[in-house]
Amino acid sequence: MLIVPAIGFGLATAAYVALAAVGFTLQAGVSNIFNFAYGDIMITAAFVAYAVNAAGGTLWELLIVGAVTGAVVSLAMNRLIFRRFVRHGVNRFGMLIVTLWSGILLQNLLLAVFGPKFFTLQVSSGRLFTFFGTRGILLTSVQLISIGIAMAAVLIVAAGLRFTRVGMAMRALATNPDLAQTSGVPARRILDYTWIVSGIFCGLGGVVLALATGAFEQTTGEDFLVIIFAATVLGGVGRPVGAAVASLVLGVAMEVSALYIPPNLKELAAFALLVVVLIVRPGGLFSLAKEGAEVAVV
Amino acid sequence: MSAVDFYATTLLVYFGVDVLAAWGLNLQYGLYGMYNFAFILFQSAGAYTAAVLTLGAPTHQFGAQQYFAGAALPFPLPIVIAGLVAGVLGLVIALIVGRGMRSDYEAIVTFVIAVMALLTVNAIIPLFDGQAGLSLVPQPLAGTLRLSAGAYAWVYVAFAALVCLASYVVMHRLMASPLGRAIRAVRENPSGAAALGVNASWCRVVVSVLGAGLAGVSGALLVEFIGTWSPGSWSYAETLVIFSAIIVGGVGNSIGVLIGVFVTQIVFAEGSRFLPTSLPPNLVGSLQWMIIGVMTLAFLWFRPQGIVPERRYCVPAGRDGSSGERGAAARKTGPVPSSSLVRGRGDS
Repeated sequence: MLIVPAIGFGLATAAYVALAAVGFTLQAGVSNIFNFAYGDIMITAAFVAYAVNAAGGTLWELLIVGAVTGAVVSLAMNRLIFRRFVRHGVNRFGMLIVTLWSGILLQNLLLAVFGPKFFTLQVSSGRLFTFFGTRGILLTSVQLISIGIAMAAVLIVAAGLRFTRVGMAMRALATNPDLAQTSGVPARRILDYTWIVSGIFCGLGGVVLALATGAFEQTTGEDFLVIIFAATVLGGVGRPVGAAVASLVLGVAMEVSALYIPPNLKELAAFALLVVVLIVRPGGLFSLAKEGAEVAVV
Repeated sequence: MSAVDFYATTLLVYFGVDVLAAWGLNLQYGLYGMYNFAFILFQSAGAYTAAVLTLGAPTHQFGAQQYFAGAALPFPLPIVIAGLVAGVLGLVIALIVGRGMRSDYEAIVTFVIAVMALLTVNAIIPLFDGQAGLSLVPQPLAGTLRLSAGAYAWVYVAFAALVCLASYVVMHRLMASPLGRAIRAVRENPSGAAALGVNASWCRVVVSVLGAGLAGVSGALLVEFIGTWSPGSWSYAETLVIFSAIIVGGVGNSIGVLIGVFVTQIVFAEGSRFLPTSLPPNLVGSLQWMIIGVMTLAFLWFRPQGIVPERRYCVPAGRDGSSGERGAAARKTGPVPSSSLVRGRGDS
């Protein structure tokens, strides 16, 4: 049977989906802005990692560089572009246009710097581990590391939101930004933290995605965004554990469906799940913020 | 055909096509407020339909382009059917995003649909020849008219202009009609409009189908002229360019949208002329996208209403505009009382 190895691939896929989706769902849940530039920030981190890799960086160095790049670009985009437009009174849909165009600007910047071709990170995928016998699940050490990072990311964000003061402030901002600010939540600083944390996972996700897909180009992140959206909406906006569970479902669904449909169509499984769920429940499955929560103006 | 003829006619046909598509999106977004990032699919559906219905049955020879079905219908039919097919797709999208989906989910779902449709057409080659796309679509009536290539191109420009004019008349009448007012009311205040008996679902279906139909016709017009259509022509970013044209020109204003298309097209067609020639070619392409992006952001910041803002539809409320006795009396006898919204529903 090929199902068992396919589930193994699904786990590896779920790892990078979850890593990226946790950052996305945190930021989308707290600030109520869907950041369409997220995939482009991911791929920017992958490109910076590529430059470091060309200079001889190892796997761990690439991951750290990716995380830092993600955090810096994410914070910069919020400070320089997104926050200003929100303060300027641009509505929710306007913000989607702003984030989309920001993403395309970033893509074209990368295109201008690196040129139109495919890139590969030269990292050995390490030892091969087998689970449940030789016909069972096969995972490389790089894949195991990604799964570990993804699980750690989910736990950190979930516990942070639940137990720390900053996490509580984030939840307060998500639910009612005005009330949170009048109650003394330093909204601007908390939102900066949110963009930084989300950027770290975004950057890590970008590097892991680049490792997993083999060859990447400027638009790889934008294409991947569709799966992040699916994981976020299915798991509930602003819910890291939900995003992780949804990523697992999506990852396994995509890899198992690849046994039955052309493999380059496996993302259709994620898409079908998303559209069906949204038709049945137009408000999404669960959400941290209540229906119609406002974008925090800080 | 001289180079000038070729350049001018190609540019003009593209202009007409983009204006039609932008008007279609303006119906959906400007008039009703639908957040449709899958809009380019309608143009694409129209283009593929027209191409397949003009090319004739596929030959199945080795190396020939593959496509699904195929026929060689006489001239206006492929364009008309393209509009209808796109309209049906518009109905499907309206039904999917209907039922009170959260506005940003609406944008996300349509975005996902656009990406997935591209993926599907790329992956399933027997559909529309995958990445390579369809080409060698014969120009309509080229055999019967027996014109020189240059004269034919100008005749086609005139035909495209005629289609634009006809679409403008139809669209304008819709926007000025009671139904158009009802649609605008749903955009401004959905619950208020619902309370007055406006059927929002019906409004959404009308704008979605009509907007999609316009886009379908635009795609058909383009493919019948340039003879080729491939996935490279309809990435999600193309929808974003149409949105930019609307935002720059003026959301909800047909003439403004036309100006917006003109401005964005100037950047794409002529923008490269003002860049230093020493730049590498891929940088020029990138810069054109970046100029459009920066321009859109600048308009959102400095002039969100666009170059030509939407007309204000005001109801005269007495001479002094107060809500006093006279104001109320004037409202009762005024020319366009607010109850005309209810007539909008009766009309539909």
